[in-house]
Amino acid sequence: MLRVSDVSAGYGAAQVLHGVSMHVDAGESVVLLGPNGHGKTTLLRVISGLVRPSGGSVQFEGEELVGRKPEEIVAAGIVHIPQGDLVFPMMTVRDNLLMGAYRRGAWKVRKDGLDRVYALFPRLQERGGQLARSLSGGERRMLAIGRGLMGDVRLLIVDEPSLGLAPQVIEDVYAAIKAITRDGLSLLLVDESANHVEGMADRVYLMETGEFRREGNAAELLGDEALLSTYLG
Amino acid sequence: MGQLLQAVWGGLVFGSVYGLMAVGLTLIWGSLNLLNLAHGAIYVAGGYVAYTLMVSLGFSAVFAFAGAMLASAALGLVLYAVVVLPMLGKPGWDNASWIATVAVSLVLESALLLAYGPEVRAMPAAIEGAFVVNDVVFRYQAILVCAVAVVLLVLLHLFLKTSRFGLAIRAVSQQMDASRLVGIPVALVFLIVMGVSASLSGLAGAMLTSILALSPTAGFVPMLKALIVTIFGGLGSVKGTIVAAYVIGLLEAFVQAFAGVAWSLPALFLFIIAVLLVRPQGLFGTPELQRL
Repeated sequence: MLRVSDVSAGYGAAQVLHGVSMHVDAGESVVLLGPNGHGKTTLLRVISGLVRPSGGSVQFEGEELVGRKPEEIVAAGIVHIPQGDLVFPMMTVRDNLLMGAYRRGAWKVRKDGLDRVYALFPRLQERGGQLARSLSGGERRMLAIGRGLMGDVRLLIVDEPSLGLAPQVIEDVYAAIKAITRDGLSLLLVDESANHVEGMADRVYLMETGEFRREGNAAELLGDEALLSTYLG
Repeated sequence: MGQLLQAVWGGLVFGSVYGLMAVGLTLIWGSLNLLNLAHGAIYVAGGYVAYTLMVSLGFSAVFAFAGAMLASAALGLVLYAVVVLPMLGKPGWDNASWIATVAVSLVLESALLLAYGPEVRAMPAAIEGAFVVNDVVFRYQAILVCAVAVVLLVLLHLFLKTSRFGLAIRAVSQQMDASRLVGIPVALVFLIVMGVSASLSGLAGAMLTSILALSPTAGFVPMLKALIVTIFGGLGSVKGTIVAAYVIGLLEAFVQAFAGVAWSLPALFLFIIAVLLVRPQGLFGTPELQRL
């Protein structure tokens, strides 16, 4: 479904990714693990068109994505939920969600989208009229995820959903992601910690200094304590 | 009493026009993070286009105003394509961009000077005449200016609050990356914002120059006042800008009525300095950078 081949990228003179290759198959949940600042986020930004790679190719269902604009990549069905709280702070929760349905096709059925997201996150419905900046950290994360689900998503990319949240809230967020992917949606998720992703990943990539060091079956890799402590500390 | 009411009415008229100009400045600031100092030159250009259509070519006022809006929108798009786009996202954008708009403004004013000469022209009113109630003079032109501005400001507000594209404009001004990631075509948003802002400024020029005067540099003072309005309203907040426009318009009218016209600019400057000391983010601004 998604195939990243030999992608290199960086910011100015600083090269961050050194020829990485990976893939996500249809219906699969893939997790990228690795410490902070080793290129995971950059790879996601390359996939969604925010960063132009210096080399390599990104293909989604056989179509080349490199050189396409972010809005075209969204149109292809790839939804990237970025790291941190990238919500629209001075807009209401409801308007934030509606922006997730910006594309014309999704906009027509935006009411259905709202119902779907509200069913998943009842809290967002309660707070529908509030400004997004008045939400708690966990609610904002749920808003960002809900916004991503308003369109017609086929591959969901989530960048470190646990970042900066309390343990109880992290559990809620991951439970929600698990619920979303249950009906066959493909998932590419980035995290720093192996603990959060146990039981939800099919395959795992371990990333260090802009390269993949290991790739494999989730049950195997996540069970290997020695390996994980080497890479993740 | 008559003088007081006359001042209130004058304030509402001025406030309407400042509102038209200032929302444009605010929209551009909010979404592109650009201080557009060519806004005053576009205002004057709108005035001259309307003047040419009405006086030289004999078209009706409606055509003249529509023509002024179209021509200024085109100017805004050219400004975007030729000056803004090549610099967008490059290092030094913060300063280089507004300095470039000063240059554009100089070029535009000089072109108007060459084309029309330096003399001050009187733009005819769209509707001549006035009526008097309780010693307060209501010129039809002033009523027209006020009504058109209020209708456009309300429409703009509704557009930004409820429509798909209006919401997208606000989204871009608040979180650029997130906007890209939900599929908003950011380049198109910039283009529309430049066009709409410029057309509102051009319309303000077409309408106000029949009350004030028309000359190649006549846009500077209205722009300065619109800038004060924009800062007072909380840079980037459309609602704040509209409220601020009427406050500033009323303040100016009162100063003119009771202290003399000479005091109007100094009074506005004193006022904005005081505001910035007490509430630097303006009326409806938030301390963060994204506000629209």
